[in-house]
Amino acid sequence: MSTRSKRLPDPDTLMPFAGAIVMILGGSLFFPQILGLGYLGQQLQIASFLGVIAMGATVVILLGHIDLSVPWIVGGAAILSTSLAGTGDPVLTALAIPAALVFGAIIGLINGFGVAILRIPSMVWTLAVNSMLLGLAVLNTGGFNPKGEASATMIWMASGTVGGIPTAFALWMLLTALLALFLGRTGFGRYLSSIGYNEKATFLSGVSTPSVIFAAFAIAGLCSAFGGVLLAGYANQAYQSMGDPYLLPTIAAVVIGGTSILGGRGRLLGTVGGVLFITLLTSILSVMQISNAWRSIIFGVIIIVMLLIQTLRRKES
Amino acid sequence: MARTLTTPDVSGLTVQPGALSCSRADFFLSNRGFTVNQTDDVIVRLEGVSKHYGATTALDGVDFACKAGEIHAVLGENGAGKSTLMKLISGVIQPSDGRIFVDGEETPLPTPRAAVERGLVCMFQELSLVPDLSVRENLMLGAPGSGLGRLPGAIVRRAQEVLAQIDGGGIGMGARVADLSLAERQQVEIAKAFARNPRLLILDEATSALNASVVDKVFTLIRAECARGVGVLFISHRFHEIEALADRISIFRNGALVDSFANGAHDYPAIISRMVGQKITDLFPAKPRARPEAQEVLRIDDFGWNGELTDVSITLRKGCITGLGGLDGQGQAAVLQGLFGLLKKTEGGIVLAGQPITLNSPGDAKNPDIGIALVPEDRKTEALILQQSIAANMELAAVGVRGINAEDPALYQPYTDALELKCESLDQPVSQLSGGNQQKVALTKWLALEPRCLLLADPTRGIDVKTKTQIYALLRRLADQGTAILLLSTDYEEFIHLCDETHIFYDGRVVRHLTGDAVTAENILAATLNIPAQQAAHG
Repeated sequence: MSTRSKRLPDPDTLMPFAGAIVMILGGSLFFPQILGLGYLGQQLQIASFLGVIAMGATVVILLGHIDLSVPWIVGGAAILSTSLAGTGDPVLTALAIPAALVFGAIIGLINGFGVAILRIPSMVWTLAVNSMLLGLAVLNTGGFNPKGEASATMIWMASGTVGGIPTAFALWMLLTALLALFLGRTGFGRYLSSIGYNEKATFLSGVSTPSVIFAAFAIAGLCSAFGGVLLAGYANQAYQSMGDPYLLPTIAAVVIGGTSILGGRGRLLGTVGGVLFITLLTSILSVMQISNAWRSIIFGVIIIVMLLIQTLRRKES
Repeated sequence: MARTLTTPDVSGLTVQPGALSCSRADFFLSNRGFTVNQTDDVIVRLEGVSKHYGATTALDGVDFACKAGEIHAVLGENGAGKSTLMKLISGVIQPSDGRIFVDGEETPLPTPRAAVERGLVCMFQELSLVPDLSVRENLMLGAPGSGLGRLPGAIVRRAQEVLAQIDGGGIGMGARVADLSLAERQQVEIAKAFARNPRLLILDEATSALNASVVDKVFTLIRAECARGVGVLFISHRFHEIEALADRISIFRNGALVDSFANGAHDYPAIISRMVGQKITDLFPAKPRARPEAQEVLRIDDFGWNGELTDVSITLRKGCITGLGGLDGQGQAAVLQGLFGLLKKTEGGIVLAGQPITLNSPGDAKNPDIGIALVPEDRKTEALILQQSIAANMELAAVGVRGINAEDPALYQPYTDALELKCESLDQPVSQLSGGNQQKVALTKWLALEPRCLLLADPTRGIDVKTKTQIYALLRRLADQGTAILLLSTDYEEFIHLCDETHIFYDGRVVRHLTGDAVTAENILAATLNIPAQQAAHG
């Protein structure tokens, strides 16, 4: 019997990191300040918001599903946390972050219920949940930007630094490491990709597939809510549809990170690379003196090129 | 017809094939002299055809011919090159080397469509229907004359006639293929192939999921087509089927044509040793004396479910292999599902070692306190995750089970060794393995849990003879070690030679419980059709 090789980072996972480095070096030819610590630190901070959300999205996409309720879990968590912190009551302020996380987990469980028990395609179910959350938020705030402000903790988490590195980035790395450890050490991680490849065979292997689906969506909800808390801390307020710009970049980051949109194959580390790549791409494109139209076109082309390289390389091997 | 009469001679003279194919050309020529009225002509001829996949040689310089009006059986272990041969003739893949002649003219077959246009119709072993389309849509898919324009309704009518003749009349044309049973899907495949008016019909494991009485009807149909002058290339792993049907038998081993002879020229053992390249004395392990008093492991009492299963009582004993037989869909599969916690609202009771138990999910069943394992019928969609590695597949059932370290290779090694699993490494995706090796992985995955009761759904379907002997030997050994085995099968030889007792199902009930000397082919066939044994013996 032959031995099993240890799992090393595969090319799929390393590709987006390489892409990000190439982009930094290429960009520095035009804008030398890109290589400055100030700029890079700021990029890491901004990437963390997307990174935390994409971490949860990876779990759901590994499962072969998708969570389209990201925007309003982010928005809802931001509104909830700033409203609580904005009261000035110390107890409610302390509850701001846990309440937002509980909110995210509950929405995640509702998503899991629709997908695992009612067997409704996740794309439809989570889209509907997103729409209902939007409605609830508008009912609650009357359509105006909600009052309230971020707590000191939230601001520190989003904008502060720990030992010279942005707190947000440190938190993102910590959470990614914890989640990666959890996926690697427990049956859960293995079940995720098995279900992503073949749910029926996984169920017939004696795995309680509904519990796995519930847990995956709950993790995704938690991550999105935490992303919302960070964003609210960054902006020191919550505003309507603040989560909307995060849905598609999240999915793009996960896919560029080498995770199959059909489920099964993928790594959390790849998503980190994908997030860095997308963030840097957006940022470098925005400092270039070109029109928005060209910016969008180049963004699309680069993403397609990245995916083509991944696909072609995989075909060859 | 004139064209097909003259051209083979020319090609036989102009090319210089090996001695074997030379003599075969002579054979064809001389044969034609006697049977001018019959369409005894070569439809497809391969000359020195090789196929390489990277470093692997699937076919190596094969000369092969199939004639009109002849049923030509192709035998060989999995991986011997049979399927590669079929794919070449049906235009799915291209030869790396060598030439293909159709009706005596060298004809490249770049696409399956090109092959179908020349009347070379293949029914593949890998079921090739589109699951989400209806039966009707599948029948029309790629049918000659379809494409832009009017859909040919005639082909559906023809397919319906065929289905009616092979007990598939009940399959609705509007039914989604994914909702059909494996056997029904195979019947639709057969109808699809016949409806295309083939001149050469290639049947690759065409009847592997069908039971004996439907197989008989398919054979009647094949013989009728053959009498009309259609050539048939037939792959099967069931010897009695080949004996009943074939005119001519060709044996492949390691990508080469080893021998080709008229049916009846050699007996089973001789054929098997040619296939395997070594002597296999017996397909089945020696059967120990029946032990009707052995300790009871699992019992179901008056088991019923949803009208599909009524008052079924079966006792599984330590060390016994119990067979479940019958026509397709008579409820025997539901027994396995019920015992694996897959059915809701079952009636009657399941008693494990004297204790009544309830099973609500496969997770309950594999719990070490219960210890029931099911190796499902469909390897590719139910038993394995094809994209994942061998190791990941084997570990999937064991992960999270109390008291088992799923990542310990020692858990699996005894079984992969006993079954002689052939692979490059355990990190290789299961999709790269042959069907027989895939089944070995599926078995190992569950055997590693050391179940008290092993449920098997047709574990040797479409599997080569050597793997079969390995599986049979392992099952017998497990039984001797005390595992109770429940074996659903469509191959009645397994009931006769492997099982200690057999329950035959009809319409959701056990109609006969055969033990000892009563387990004979006649009794099994009679019971599957639910007619008394004596009557069948006279008829």
